[in-house]
Amino acid sequence: MSRVQQFTRRTVLSAAAVLAATRVARAQEAGPRVATLDWALLETLLAIGANVVAATELRQFRQVAIKPDVPEGVADLGLRGTPNFEVLHFARPDLILNSNFYAWADPLMSRIAPVESHPIYKPGESPYLLAEQATLAIGERLRRSAARRMVEELASRLDRYKNLFARGDGRPVLPINLGDARHYRVFGSDSMFGEVLKRVGLANAWTGATSYSAMAPMGIETLASMPDAWIVLIPPHPQDAFEALAESAFWKALPAVRENRVLTVGSINPYGALPAASRFADFLAEGFSHVRNG
Amino acid sequence: MSGTVSLHTPMRTGLPHLLPAAALGIACVTSFILLLMFRPHVPGEAATAAVLDTILLWNSLLPRAAIALISGAALGLSGALLQRILRNPIADASTLGIASGAQLALTLGLSFLPLLTGISRELLAFAGGFSAVAIVLALSWRGLDPVTVAISGMIVSLIAASLSVTLVLARGEYAMSIHIWGAGALNQQDWSGVVALAPRLAAGILAAALLLRPLRVLALDDSSARSLGVALQGVRFSILVLAVWLSASVTATVGIIGFLGLAAPTMARFCGARTTGQVMMAAPLAGAAVLFLADCLTQLLGPGFSDLVPTGAATALLGGPLLLLLLPRVHGFSAATATADAASRQLRKPAAALLLLAAALAIIVALVLTLSPTDHGWSVALGPLFSELLPFRLPRILASGGAGAMLGAAGFIMQRVTGNPIASPEVLGVSSGGGAGLTAALFLFGFPSPAIMLLGMALGSLAAFLVMIAIAGRSGFSAERLLLAGIAISAFCMAIVSMVLAQGDMRSYILLTWMSGSTNRAGAFEAWTAMITLVVLTAPLFLMIRWLAILPLGTSLSRGVGLRVLPSRLVLAILAALMTAISSFLVGPLSLTGLIAPHLARLVGFRNLRCQLAAAILIGAGVLIVADWLSRVVIYPYQVPVGLFAALIGGPYLLWLLGMKERSP
Repeated sequence: MSRVQQFTRRTVLSAAAVLAATRVARAQEAGPRVATLDWALLETLLAIGANVVAATELRQFRQVAIKPDVPEGVADLGLRGTPNFEVLHFARPDLILNSNFYAWADPLMSRIAPVESHPIYKPGESPYLLAEQATLAIGERLRRSAARRMVEELASRLDRYKNLFARGDGRPVLPINLGDARHYRVFGSDSMFGEVLKRVGLANAWTGATSYSAMAPMGIETLASMPDAWIVLIPPHPQDAFEALAESAFWKALPAVRENRVLTVGSINPYGALPAASRFADFLAEGFSHVRNG
Repeated sequence: MSGTVSLHTPMRTGLPHLLPAAALGIACVTSFILLLMFRPHVPGEAATAAVLDTILLWNSLLPRAAIALISGAALGLSGALLQRILRNPIADASTLGIASGAQLALTLGLSFLPLLTGISRELLAFAGGFSAVAIVLALSWRGLDPVTVAISGMIVSLIAASLSVTLVLARGEYAMSIHIWGAGALNQQDWSGVVALAPRLAAGILAAALLLRPLRVLALDDSSARSLGVALQGVRFSILVLAVWLSASVTATVGIIGFLGLAAPTMARFCGARTTGQVMMAAPLAGAAVLFLADCLTQLLGPGFSDLVPTGAATALLGGPLLLLLLPRVHGFSAATATADAASRQLRKPAAALLLLAAALAIIVALVLTLSPTDHGWSVALGPLFSELLPFRLPRILASGGAGAMLGAAGFIMQRVTGNPIASPEVLGVSSGGGAGLTAALFLFGFPSPAIMLLGMALGSLAAFLVMIAIAGRSGFSAERLLLAGIAISAFCMAIVSMVLAQGDMRSYILLTWMSGSTNRAGAFEAWTAMITLVVLTAPLFLMIRWLAILPLGTSLSRGVGLRVLPSRLVLAILAALMTAISSFLVGPLSLTGLIAPHLARLVGFRNLRCQLAAAILIGAGVLIVADWLSRVVIYPYQVPVGLFAALIGGPYLLWLLGMKERSP
């Protein structure tokens, strides 16, 4: 009895001591407390191990972007369109990172902490290059060496994939996101997915116009106009949409479907930064090697 | 001689009536032939391309044409049935809240039961649509006066629509499917939609044919119908179920095709259908033709395989102006009774009552400034915490209060200028006009500054209100026509907005945020805009009380007492449009404050116009401030649209007061 008690108390005390020590260490090492409204910046911050204290729509982020993991203690600011500034205030950030998309919030947030803006999606500019610049700038600002490592590692990984895909069938790829069983959104060359395709030496089957990197809604019958392409389905999509689609005569008659050129990857944030690009590239490599081997 | 004249008269009126029908038919056939000739072809290797072309023709183009005809017919029939049994020329799936109810039910279903089969989707849509219509009718059961029905329908629609937008916003990425569906897209990839809908339409037509006699009798008033032995309520109820079922099936299959149930019977009558039987036959035909034509056109005009706009939006774009053109010829079968409601009671000391209202407003402001939930439960912010939070809370309270006050004033002006107690920024389509203006600004400038957005909205609102005044003036301000015109303008403007929403890009995100109506973004700019414009725009109104007193008496009477009608109307219109635009910029389009506040002011018992105006302003401010507070505390830290709570607070109260007034004559 007493032994158990002693054991417990001692363990608890020592565990607490260890925990406290690591917490202090992490706090010292973690650097400034940062918050952001933008999901692309959120995934960048999480990927480089920054000390994120508040971000928007975390429930949805965990379902859509999936990786990187969001630590439990991060405060949820609510919807991206209507972030709760009072919660942001209580999270006591030292620095707020924002993108051009939420620029309207700058004056309000600058009352809470200094705001720095890092655009990733700008009409006519490459989101990949902007994401690289943003990652490096944030890494510099927060003194996280992981940022430079991530940029370099991803660039060399995409090069490796380029060699891998060069041995493939050379067909163009059509990255799409199903809206419902009859409509989809297609990602153009100016989207993050389009950039990844370009960097790994694959052609984007969609060469038409886009409006802010994607085009929607496209009727599903338009898939027939790109008979050569690989169709890459990027979730999240409504669960019943794909099932209804797969049942239809039209879908079954598509050359891509008959010749098994449909790839469904994992869920990715379509307006992400380098972590989203990395996820997409890995899914492609995994999917294509699986197809070749299996 | 007189015999020849009476013989010729029906022919003279008959022939021109057939012309539009023939023209519509020819337009449909021509556009379908053009579509078949110029449909895009699949590129690539010839053999594969030929196979795919055939599949596209048989599994996409033809079923799509069929579904357009079937959906159009079903909606036309449903509209005709609803209008007949409710004796209401403006009854329709959208005005009765059926479409929004079905949309809300489906949105809820998609959120909580993602794996829905086709049948359960339809059941959900029916349940939602039927609940909505049941609520609408329960709210206005006494007499089913068309105007009361339309107001209840609009309130229920607004609440359902805001709840749907809230759910969509809360779910983020799934927004696309809801918006495609909200804009009504007819794309097909097999015959399953046709197979599902065709038997329902056939059953609907059969049931309508069987019910033709009771329907004909229902055109008479209730007592004669009862004396002819029609089980009145039973027949009404079964026809209601049939009509709701038809439109809910269409909604579940292809999404919201607004406006068709309203436009089809109107067109049928325009083409010469007079008797119940003729209308019942012609309305489905007209509905089918209009939807088919709109769908062919959007396919023909779109680049390559893409549509120009979602078809549901296209019908509203075509149907809105069409209805406005037809308006003077619409033969309503019941005169709407919307006499200016004389207040049932009068306050003895209006000045004291106004002071009381102002004091209540002050208490509300003090409460919402301090009371709020935090991560650790509810707290009252006092001392240093209060001053810390003030920069976040004060701007939004000022913005929502200012917007509510201006909406109250704008509604007051509109009700006086049109001489119509149901006029308001939301009812007359002036708020939606602002939305169309905002959409135009987004297209022209990419990421416009708030000032440019505001300017676009002001111009849009002004255009919408001027069109309304022109129409109202021509048709003698009949409440029914005014409502019809307002619905047409709203549908037209919201079609423009939903086309952009369906694209799902950054612009649609801005529009969605605007539609959801959040004061969350209010900062110094918004607060100052609200306060300065409130003072600048409402102060002159107190000097124009004479105009506001005389204008409701009508044009000739106003001229008789020496009022220059046109300039005074124009000045008031500009003021009302500016106030509407600024407040819908601040709190979005979905609030009923502009309708509710002036009504409440009158119903509470303010007779003197100056006091009534001041009370409308104070009540409007109070309603929106409370709504704003609720919107940020109910699902803290997530936030709900302000308009939703404004409609939830004001709507039922307004209906209750209208009911009270009727009961105590």
